[in-house]
Amino acid sequence: MIELKNISKSYGGARALEHVNLTVEYGKIHALLGENGAGKSTLMKILSGAVQKDAGSIYIDGVEKLIRTPKIAREEGIGIIYQEFSLVPELTASENIFLNHPGNSSWINWHSLHTKADTLVRSLGFSLDVRKKVSALSIAEQQIVEIAKVLTHDLKLIIFDEPSDVLGPQEVQILYRLLEQLKKKHIAIIYISHHLQEILDISDCVTVLRDGKSIATVENKDLSKDKLIAMMLGKELVRHAREYVAPVQEPKIFRATGIRLPMSDIPVEISSRSGEILGIAGLVGAGRTELLRAIFGADRAPGKKVYVNDQLIDTSSPGNSVANGIGMVPEDRKQEGGILDQSIRKNISITNLQQINRGAGFINQKREDELVQTLVAQLRIKCASADAPVDSLSGGNQQKVILAKWINSGADILLIDEPTRGVDVGARAQIYDILFELANKGKTLIVVSSDLEELMTICDRILVMKKGRITGEVTKKDFSEERLLRLAIEEPVAATS
Amino acid sequence: MKAITVRATILQYNTVFIFLLMLLVSGIITDNFFTAQNISNIFRQSAPIGLVSLGMLLVILTGGIDLSVGAVVAMIGVVFALLSHEVYFPFALLLSLITGLFIGCISGFLVAYRKMAPFIVTLAMMSMIRGAGYLLSKGAPISVGSYSSDILVLGSGSVMGIPVPAIILLMVFAILYILLRYNIYGRVILAIGSNEEAVRLSGINVNIAKFSVYVISAVLTTLAALLLVGRTGVGTANIGVGLELDAIAAVVIGGASLSGGKGSVLNTLLGVFILSMIGNVMNLLDITAYLQQIIKGIIIIAAVLFQRDK
Repeated sequence: MIELKNISKSYGGARALEHVNLTVEYGKIHALLGENGAGKSTLMKILSGAVQKDAGSIYIDGVEKLIRTPKIAREEGIGIIYQEFSLVPELTASENIFLNHPGNSSWINWHSLHTKADTLVRSLGFSLDVRKKVSALSIAEQQIVEIAKVLTHDLKLIIFDEPSDVLGPQEVQILYRLLEQLKKKHIAIIYISHHLQEILDISDCVTVLRDGKSIATVENKDLSKDKLIAMMLGKELVRHAREYVAPVQEPKIFRATGIRLPMSDIPVEISSRSGEILGIAGLVGAGRTELLRAIFGADRAPGKKVYVNDQLIDTSSPGNSVANGIGMVPEDRKQEGGILDQSIRKNISITNLQQINRGAGFINQKREDELVQTLVAQLRIKCASADAPVDSLSGGNQQKVILAKWINSGADILLIDEPTRGVDVGARAQIYDILFELANKGKTLIVVSSDLEELMTICDRILVMKKGRITGEVTKKDFSEERLLRLAIEEPVAATS
Repeated sequence: MKAITVRATILQYNTVFIFLLMLLVSGIITDNFFTAQNISNIFRQSAPIGLVSLGMLLVILTGGIDLSVGAVVAMIGVVFALLSHEVYFPFALLLSLITGLFIGCISGFLVAYRKMAPFIVTLAMMSMIRGAGYLLSKGAPISVGSYSSDILVLGSGSVMGIPVPAIILLMVFAILYILLRYNIYGRVILAIGSNEEAVRLSGINVNIAKFSVYVISAVLTTLAALLLVGRTGVGTANIGVGLELDAIAAVVIGGASLSGGKGSVLNTLLGVFILSMIGNVMNLLDITAYLQQIIKGIIIIAAVLFQRDK
């Protein structure tokens, strides 16, 4: 049994944790739930030795322990799997797995290293080529490597920090299988997640943090989604459903054809219309992200043709796509979505610099202020000022800035890849509202998400992809998680129109 | 709270503080630092390296580097000196500038449109241009022809007591300052250095922006070369060795990040003056050139350490 008692921690003047208690038992999955900023990560950093607590104690099997460094934490049997992996991309999977075990000799026995790594990965119920460099592996495979790496230590407790966020439905099932294995080995698991359904499905009990305090610990059998949300927010969440509003103007028809994705020989074609939110479901690696990037011109796609109202438009580069009214919110906010160390203002303006051009490229500050302030207010972006750097904001507010920048671009067609990754429940509902409003105004939204529930909440129609092809289409009245998952996993029977 | 603000201010303006500190120290340890003659000397000496550093700053802001500048200074000097025997001054000037422009276009094209690493491209350019300089001059210094003796005004003349090189430097400084602060161009350059892919996916033509900084760097370096020829009256292929390192040092002392996205024109200029003052003071104190290099290195490390201290 691992106990955290009365843990407190402040950063500067800000209280991050206040008398937090948490008891984790071996062989159980203990979910940790809370909005961004509730103190989950701080608590886990303290437990794993990355950060020092101000007050309180940690007991392992009844003995008080001082965990001053990550190394001590590991020696005490505590391992953590961060959402952002700690792998070295240019080393092989095997080397990464045994990175913390240099061995006795200064020479590497490649054969035995690969064999050992392969055995470990197989014992978890997976197979992957451990000789491959990590940079050549899919994100799901990287996560397996990360987990295998942690398991090379003799552990009592493993902390998972939002592991399923980067995985598609099938990979998530693999992860759950793995968790079962770990439970059987009598390892305690702390599982951090934003996905309420997931928590209900897999956890044995849940502790909710809010504003740095532990609100309650509840057994799974006493739980419901509404109850969890109420505990997280301290109030009931009013759930907004999308009401389809027929656009006033003549609808614009968007059509993209002849898109060849790397994983398939058969070109993909999709179409949508203004006012529609079209979802794209599928497993990780099905080609969803690649499809959006190809449409937008972020990647080369010879043979692609994009039409708006039967008019061919130039989407050969992101610049041309933006000029023709197409925008893309990329999957990876940090690497591709935003210029995170720059201000909200600069991030929002960059998609439409012409409208703040006073002539000869000189910036009309006043006009920029107005435009940015309007969007900050409209999207309810919580920030000290529009000059605050984007990385000072919470995940939800960062995502709102990215949406604001594309609203600012004036795009009619928005390609949105994972609209709420790393976004907490409260902000998630706000982002859905923003998307609904955009659709109601007559924009065309094409949304990729690994979260089927999310797609079913926001979309009017969902396409399912598999191995670079579109294998199914489901309209709103037929939405069901089972049906979507089946289309994503099963081999297509025959060509259906 | 107050202590934090003071500390933050010092960190924000640390290049200014280092500059003022250098002024103070220079004034105290030498007798003739604050004479009109010496100040004017510092400006004259700073102008070429200042122009090169400002161009280097633009390149570094995009996350690139330009190692070819020292070689360009040498080759352009030779090219101008050769031309000065053949054509009238304005043509010699123009043809030299076109040569510089052409060099910048090659580097810019390879980096921006062929996606080659800036370090490699400009390293290769450095080698080629240095070689071309020796080839053209046959290894000997070439004095400026009588057609173009007007060039001497560029290097040694003054207007209302202000040296011409200083005027040119301050004008270029003012233009770049305004461009980076108030113009879309500057915003794009800085954004590219912070996150090039995000800028590309925002619909900005990243290639042309990256191309442009190498062209500007080469043109400013050409101007620097002309100032140097104007001061000495000769073009020679063996000058400007290590100039790229001095320019990078000035940019770094000015607080810019070598990975791009962070840096300012004012601080780079101060960085140039800090380096020049170090040289100037040590000359006044009769410190040998070898020792000067060692001290310069120490001061660069100290300045950057001081900036990083957070």
